[in-house]
Order: sequence, then structure tokens, then C-alpha cells
Amino acid sequence: MSPHQALHDPIFLAYLRVIFVSLFMGGIVLGILHWGFKKNLGPIWSTYRSWLVLAPVGLAAIFAGRVPTIIGITLLAIFGFKEFARASGLYRDWWMTGVVYAGIVAVGTASLVSHPRGEESGPGWYGLFVAVPVFAIASILLIPILRNRARGELQRMSLGIVGFVYIGWMFGHLGFLADSVNAYGFLLYVIFATELNDVAAFTFGRLFGRHSLRSEISPKKTWEGAPGALAVSMALPWLLRFSFPGFGPWQLILAGLIVGIGGQLGDLSISVIKRDIGTKDMGALIPGHGGILDRIDSLIYVAPLFLHMANYYNQLR
Amino acid sequence: MKRWQYEPAADLDQRLIERLRNFPREPDMLVYGVRSIVALIIRGLLRTYCRFEIIGEEHLRSNRSFVLVANHSSHLDTVCLLASLPLRRLHRAFPAAAADYFFKSVPRTWIATVVVNALPFARQAQVRQSLAICGELLANAGNVLIIFPEGTRSTTGEIQEFKGGIGALLAGRDVPVLPCYLDGAFRAWPKGSRWPRPRKVRLIIGAPRNYAALPSDKGASVAIAAELRSAVKELARQHAKR
Repeated sequence: MSPHQALHDPIFLAYLRVIFVSLFMGGIVLGILHWGFKKNLGPIWSTYRSWLVLAPVGLAAIFAGRVPTIIGITLLAIFGFKEFARASGLYRDWWMTGVVYAGIVAVGTASLVSHPRGEESGPGWYGLFVAVPVFAIASILLIPILRNRARGELQRMSLGIVGFVYIGWMFGHLGFLADSVNAYGFLLYVIFATELNDVAAFTFGRLFGRHSLRSEISPKKTWEGAPGALAVSMALPWLLRFSFPGFGPWQLILAGLIVGIGGQLGDLSISVIKRDIGTKDMGALIPGHGGILDRIDSLIYVAPLFLHMANYYNQLR
Repeated sequence: MKRWQYEPAADLDQRLIERLRNFPREPDMLVYGVRSIVALIIRGLLRTYCRFEIIGEEHLRSNRSFVLVANHSSHLDTVCLLASLPLRRLHRAFPAAAADYFFKSVPRTWIATVVVNALPFARQAQVRQSLAICGELLANAGNVLIIFPEGTRSTTGEIQEFKGGIGALLAGRDVPVLPCYLDGAFRAWPKGSRWPRPRKVRLIIGAPRNYAALPSDKGASVAIAAELRSAVKELARQHAKR
């Protein structure tokens, strides 16, 4: 991955077109609803405006190359965890947050460096990458011992481990996709398909939503929205087949299922955390979206499942 | 099983700019880390680029809360005063910064909050409220308050009149105040120029004073302000003689 390569890569250039056409079409549909049908779209406009910023920023990072992509994803994980720590109150414990930040940096580092003895093909140190949680969790368990404290430590350790594994490591898999031989195809498919799945779930939910999917977790998710989004996500890999030259029909079905089901589960799992804490959004950084975690929640679920599926079929490296 | 108690940050659902404007702050360790690293870089740059030198550093060796008062002619002033403090006190040092200038746009507010740890000071309205926040900081042990009593950067390099607010803050309060004189900062980075130039910058720190015995009225405030100004001028005069 490099700017030069990106300019000559048919997959990158195709996604460039797909993403800009999607944004353009989305704008037209919203415009027709707003001016043609006089619908009150309210906060959807600010959500859309944020997309107009987020999409080029993400594309620019991938265009810039492997290192900027991994650094960008690591930064997203760091600030995503910061939101989680602020929402849960863990941010007051500097030892715990410090170890988790260090663990997230270690995940990014494992994606950046190569195997020290060159025993793995391609960039990235996969062996360390999948082993980072062991060291991170061991360090987290060590903190109360070093500080000679027990009171309330189970809660702090648990929050630290969930924060690290969920936001640092699982989301960090997106960074490791940049080490793949098919980095452009995998990264761009996972991000584009997951975000489209979010938009589809929202749209179908708004149009036909009647019955709450998980009434105790999220009032916005509906039984009617879920299959609509799943159908879109199942069709997408076939439409974007050029993204994965090595995939057969079975892998295309799996790619669709991972995004279609995983994406919505990711959304719901962050809702569980928010519901228990008692907050509406994880932050207010992105207008119309909420915090960083509210935007990347689906990717947290999809990225690792997709990576390990591709790895199982020897398509990763 | 007993339910876990979460204590979310109070400013969780606020926009970034509002969060940055809040005071007092509740930073997480990321903010401290960034601030410490930036401070080390700034200190290194000051020593090499501006050949920064501190005279009278021994007056800073106190674990109490104290106030640093200095002449103001450059953005370098705050940076230099912060660089004179030991690193462990950096996060407890609060330069009073104009709320109408430093807490407007997101980038500027971010720098004022994360890098400088500035205290938003309302210059026009609500001066009394800002002074009350300063007073609260000084009531706790181990805080450093940095104040430029001229209220704004001098455009000529000359020391302007000191505002009475500094006197109102110190009168009748048992807190040491250290007059400081910054030499060369105006030549290095005057108001209106974009980047600092490589000129020698010196910080001269005077002996601490205490105005606990004075009554907290208008007359004493004006007298303290005038006295501190002459103390800073005296430091400048002594320095020029050397």
C-alpha cells in the first residue's frame, strides 16, 4: 500500500468511485425527500454532512499507505477506548487506563512491524498480534497486586479487559487487514459494507420498523430493519466481487453474513454497554453520529470475524 | 449480585468545545501524557532556539501554592514560565488566559487546555467570578497560578499598568507571590508576528512577597498592583545593570 500503488490499483480506484457515487446518490435521495416530499429529516442532514467528511478522511488514510492506515486505526482505538473509559468512569484509574493504552499501542505495533526472524510472509507480525491480549490481560491482572488493593478491583479489571479486547484488539483487526496481500479489497470492502449495512438497517427501520428487535437494549433497532439490512449485505459481496479475486461463492456468502449479522450485533453490543451505564451516546464528537464508538461499533464486530474467515481460507497473506 | 456503580464523566454528552472550556477539569492520563511530552519538547526547543536561561530558580522551591506574576509581551511568556517549573508541578500550574481569545476556536482551545493547562479568565464581564476560581485554586495546596496583570500583551515591549484584579486576589490571602521579569521574549516573538525568532530569552524570578496582612479593599488592591509592577521593573533594572 502506497499512494503510487493506490493510483494504479483497480480495486482502490473502483471503491473511490463507488464511495463517491454512494455519497452523491445519498445526497440526492435526501434532497428529494426534503424538498420534493417536504419531509422533515431533522438530524439526518447532520449525519449526512458528517459522512461527507468521514469518507474522504478514511479514503485519504488508505490512499496514504499501510503505515498511516494502521496509525489512524490505532488512534481511533485509543480515542474510542477513552470514550469508553470516560463513560464507565474507568478514566479515573490511571494505572488501568495506562495499561490499556499501552496494549492498544502494542496491537498497532504488531500490525506495523514484521516478524523479527522473517518467519512470516508479508508485513505485520501475526503471531504477536493474536497473542497481545494474553500480555495485556496479564498486565491488567497485575495492577491490583502491585498496588496492594482489592476493593472494587474486579470491576476495574473487568472494564479494563473489556475495553482492551473489545475496542483495542478486536477493532485493531481492521489495522491488520492493511497487512494483507489484498489490503485494498479487504479494507475497503469491510469498511464500506459495514457502514452501508448500518445505513440500510437505519433506513429499513425508519421505513418499515414496527417491532423492537431487542426492547431492553435499543429502541431504534427493529425486526423489520434487520432483514432489510441483511439482504443488502448479502447482495453486496456479489456486486463488489472484484474486491476479492480469491473468493468463491461460499466465501462471498460468508462475507455477506459476517457484515449483515456482525454489523448489527456490534451495534447492539455497544448499546448494551450504553444502556447499563445509562448514557445515550458515547460522546458528542461527530455531529449526527455521537462519539467515535457510536460510529465504529459495527466494525468492532465485523473486522475480526472477516479477518479470520479470510485467514482460514488462506486469503490473508 | 450487587450492581456495579458507574461514575461517567460529567461532561460526557457535551460537544468537544464545551468539554474543553470546562473548568476545573477532570483529565485522563492521555492528557497528562501529551502535556508532559509536549512540555519536554518545548523545553528542549527553548534551551536551544532561544538559549533560555532562568535566574533565581531557587525561589520556586516551595511545595505550597504560589502565584507567578510577570510582564507580558509575547506568547513565549507563558511557555517560559511553565518551563521554569519542575515537570511534576506542570499539571498543577494554571496560566490565567483570556477566555475571549484562547477559548474561542477548537484548535486554540485544545492547545490552551491540553498543552498549556490554561485557566479561562473572563477579562470583560464576570472578572469577579474568574478571580473566585483563582482563589479556590490557591486555597488548595500545591497549585501554581500564572498571571499577567497587564491583562494583555504589550505592543511596545514596555511594561503597562497592572490591573487591580491581581491585588484583589492577593490582599488578605496568605499566599506567596513571585514577581518575574521576562527579558527578550518581545524581541523573539512580539505580538503580530507569526513565528518566534531565535533570540536569547531570560527569566528573572524575584523573591516571594506576601500580602496576607493587607485588608481586601479597593485601595489595597491598587497598591498591591502598583507595588508588584515596580517589583517587576526593579528586576528589569537590576538585570540591565548586570
